[in-house]
Amino acid sequence: MAKNNWSKFLFLLMLSFVLILAACSGNEGTSTEGNTSTEEGGGKEADEGTKLENGGMYSIEDFNNVKTNNGEAIEGGNITFGLVSDTVFEGTLNWNFYSGDPDAQILNWFDEGLLTWDENYVYTNDGAATYEVSEDGRTFTFKIGDNVNWHDGKPVTAEDWQFAHEVIGHPDYDGPRYNSDFTNIEGMEDYHSGKADTISGIEVIDEKTLSITYIESTPSLLTGSIWSYPLAKHIFGEMAVADISSSPEVREKPIGFGPFKVESIVPGESVTLVKNEDYWRGEPKLDGVTVKVISSSTVVQELKTGGVDLISDFPVDQFPDNAEMSNVEYLGAVDRAYTYIGFKLGTWDAENNRVSPNPDAKMGDVALRQAMWHAVDNKTVGERFYNGLRWNATTLIPPSHPEFHDENNKGREFDPEAAKKLLDDAGYEDTDGDGFRETPEGEPLEINFISMTGGDIAEPLARYYVQAWETIGLKVNLEMLEFNTFYDRVGNGGKDDPKVDVYQAAWGVGIDVDPSGLYGADALYNFARWENEENERLLKEGRSEKAFDLAYRQEIYNEWQQLMVDEVPVFPTLYRATLSPVNNRVLNFAIGDGTGVYLNELAVSEESPIKAE
Amino acid sequence: MRIDKDSGTQIPDVDLGKSPSGFSILLRELIRDKVAFVSLLFLFLIIAGVFGASIIMDQNDIVKVDLFALYEPPSATYWLGTDYGGRDIFGQLIIGTRNSLAIGILVTLLTGIIGILVGLISGYYGGTIDNIFMRFVDFFMVLPILMIVIAFVTAVPGYSIVSFSLIMTAFLWMGIARLIRSKALQEKELDYVKASKTLGTSNFKIMFFQVLPNLSSIIIVTMTLNLAGNIGIESGLSFLGFGFPESTPSLGTLISYARNPQTLELRWWIWLPASILIFVLMLSINNVGQALKRATDARQRRG
Repeated sequence: MAKNNWSKFLFLLMLSFVLILAACSGNEGTSTEGNTSTEEGGGKEADEGTKLENGGMYSIEDFNNVKTNNGEAIEGGNITFGLVSDTVFEGTLNWNFYSGDPDAQILNWFDEGLLTWDENYVYTNDGAATYEVSEDGRTFTFKIGDNVNWHDGKPVTAEDWQFAHEVIGHPDYDGPRYNSDFTNIEGMEDYHSGKADTISGIEVIDEKTLSITYIESTPSLLTGSIWSYPLAKHIFGEMAVADISSSPEVREKPIGFGPFKVESIVPGESVTLVKNEDYWRGEPKLDGVTVKVISSSTVVQELKTGGVDLISDFPVDQFPDNAEMSNVEYLGAVDRAYTYIGFKLGTWDAENNRVSPNPDAKMGDVALRQAMWHAVDNKTVGERFYNGLRWNATTLIPPSHPEFHDENNKGREFDPEAAKKLLDDAGYEDTDGDGFRETPEGEPLEINFISMTGGDIAEPLARYYVQAWETIGLKVNLEMLEFNTFYDRVGNGGKDDPKVDVYQAAWGVGIDVDPSGLYGADALYNFARWENEENERLLKEGRSEKAFDLAYRQEIYNEWQQLMVDEVPVFPTLYRATLSPVNNRVLNFAIGDGTGVYLNELAVSEESPIKAE
Repeated sequence: MRIDKDSGTQIPDVDLGKSPSGFSILLRELIRDKVAFVSLLFLFLIIAGVFGASIIMDQNDIVKVDLFALYEPPSATYWLGTDYGGRDIFGQLIIGTRNSLAIGILVTLLTGIIGILVGLISGYYGGTIDNIFMRFVDFFMVLPILMIVIAFVTAVPGYSIVSFSLIMTAFLWMGIARLIRSKALQEKELDYVKASKTLGTSNFKIMFFQVLPNLSSIIIVTMTLNLAGNIGIESGLSFLGFGFPESTPSLGTLISYARNPQTLELRWWIWLPASILIFVLMLSINNVGQALKRATDARQRRG
């Protein structure tokens, strides 16, 4: 069973725009891979056209995720990548140990996974390694390319890959990666508990060939559950496992086999990279890349003056004012994330590591939860607060997973009358004439709602929800909390604050669609503390061997989406777009997955960045 | 009624041809100084207007989020436009000024009371009592006040105007206590205090009915100037994000909207009125304060 499923559900997102996974979003709505520049020009005009008609409204459909190439590439050149973060980066620069998104943004430049995936997040065979699956779907045989070498010239070997598994599975391992993906490897639990010296399921066949046998075959294996980041054994092999994450080879002189090599690091501020001439996809066109941290409030100025060519994440609320910036092209993609409102229905049972639902919870009545969903007008919220760059969410599988997002499921639409009727029928009536409804037992009903601070829109947005619920006669008290306090009280550490009834939060979802790490009865991240038999059954089916059949898996997840619309332990409010402005001189760049554009092809058409007029 | 300084007893008002009392000097100076007089009138107008208008206005109504009126520029409906929550800036300005003034005045009064008590007692008695009190003052003075206030403000759950004022008061009373103490030290050496003591007047009576009135002009001056400073501290804290939540507007929260570069550049109506108002308020209070200060020094007087 999946618990604490980190690799699939990477980050709790702040409601603000700080921690969005910029470089790994789906590309539904940007159906134009290999688009020619004329078509894109057309798309841009349409964009401006719709904008005028709708009074500053934008749609993710109008954005492309591949950069239009203007002009010819010059030899060499350097670019600057702006890492948008209001804090410094931690500097744990190894895929096997990092935990924060800023570190991942840096890692992307100089190291990569051995497997790549397509736009549906399924592993492909055009990465640094290829794979074959045995008939029972449990044994994977990988072949690493002969020309894949570490930055120091040593070949990337099957032993390095095995070593990565051994380090992560080691009892002394101090990173966040050890989870159900690893326990699903044969012999891993014995190794982890010290009963075995090696992992029996992992076998080095020859220098470049590795096979891994998993206990359970699930479709998730093909969508991100294989650990594909090797760890250089010739460097880390001699170190004690507990010392690796703080070693200079992780912090100061990190190593990888990606298109660029780290030359120097100013801790927390910037990283200078030069090209890796020996890169297996071919020598990079650029001479080097500088990654520097910039704060979200200076992003626009940096872009305008050409201080940065690319950035990790653009604050969407600044887009309408800067849509006409002349020296950049905006790329857009559907973010693999959604904002939602959750209802506390129980507590976390730390002893048994599972949720313990409370049948008498204040929000326990399903009609009350359904009514609260009907009461809020997320379409207008998206249009007014986010100019259409966030939009009404319908189900709990976002459109960043086009294969599984159920387009026909409309969720619960804005309908205050229906909400009132639901409450009337369920017995929530205003008996003492104070304008607010009481519980069916006649007790006063006061709902405590918490939401996160961060960004200008956070408070008005939360207050809007309070007002919307007031109009259907519910008394809701709002408390705005800072990110860490918020998640503490929601129950991030397993201690649920009993004074919280409703909360607004956001998830980044993993590349695998399986939501059991967020809504399973044994998931700590199931903050609603909700348990339901049908839910457990569907989640299990979605991971079963049968679910290798795409149509079957889709059917299961459609059912699951409908179940969540019926039961409403949480309801999604907004889907999100990520935008990425790119300086016009940059060529061959794309955001999102499965675009077939790689960093070694990245080039520039001019020596220095183009400035805004 | 008037207090006879020599006997310490109250005697009927008789014109003894003495020099004019502190209050009348202050008043005369204010009227003579045109700038200060206009400032004073202006202050009264703002205070009366703001407190008057806020009786009619409903704070909950003003902070209501309106999805269909985000970032409206000034118009007939919204005199000063709206902010990113569709909330009327003019209404927020009125309520915000009221809140800021209320805090400023409350903090000034509370610090004044504590400061006068501590200062008077330690100055009048001197010796050990003075020593003990002054070590307390020293202790509070070396604290990094702003940081501690920020920590308190974050720790106190659901704080209001009153609790915010109390937190600020706890760390701002020392200045006035020091001042009063030094004046009281001088004053107690004067003959009228000694005479009063000889006649057996109680220390309490001497302190509060004989020494205190003689310090009144200096108290009024410091408290006026402190008022400006206290409003400033509240605005500063709100600007930094440690003041009131957005549902309780203040001048500081309005100005803090300008922390967003987009707002600063493109939507002046959100932060400019509050900034101008705070500027004018400070200027007026300072003008009045300076005039009062001059009045206490015979060499600088204009009147």
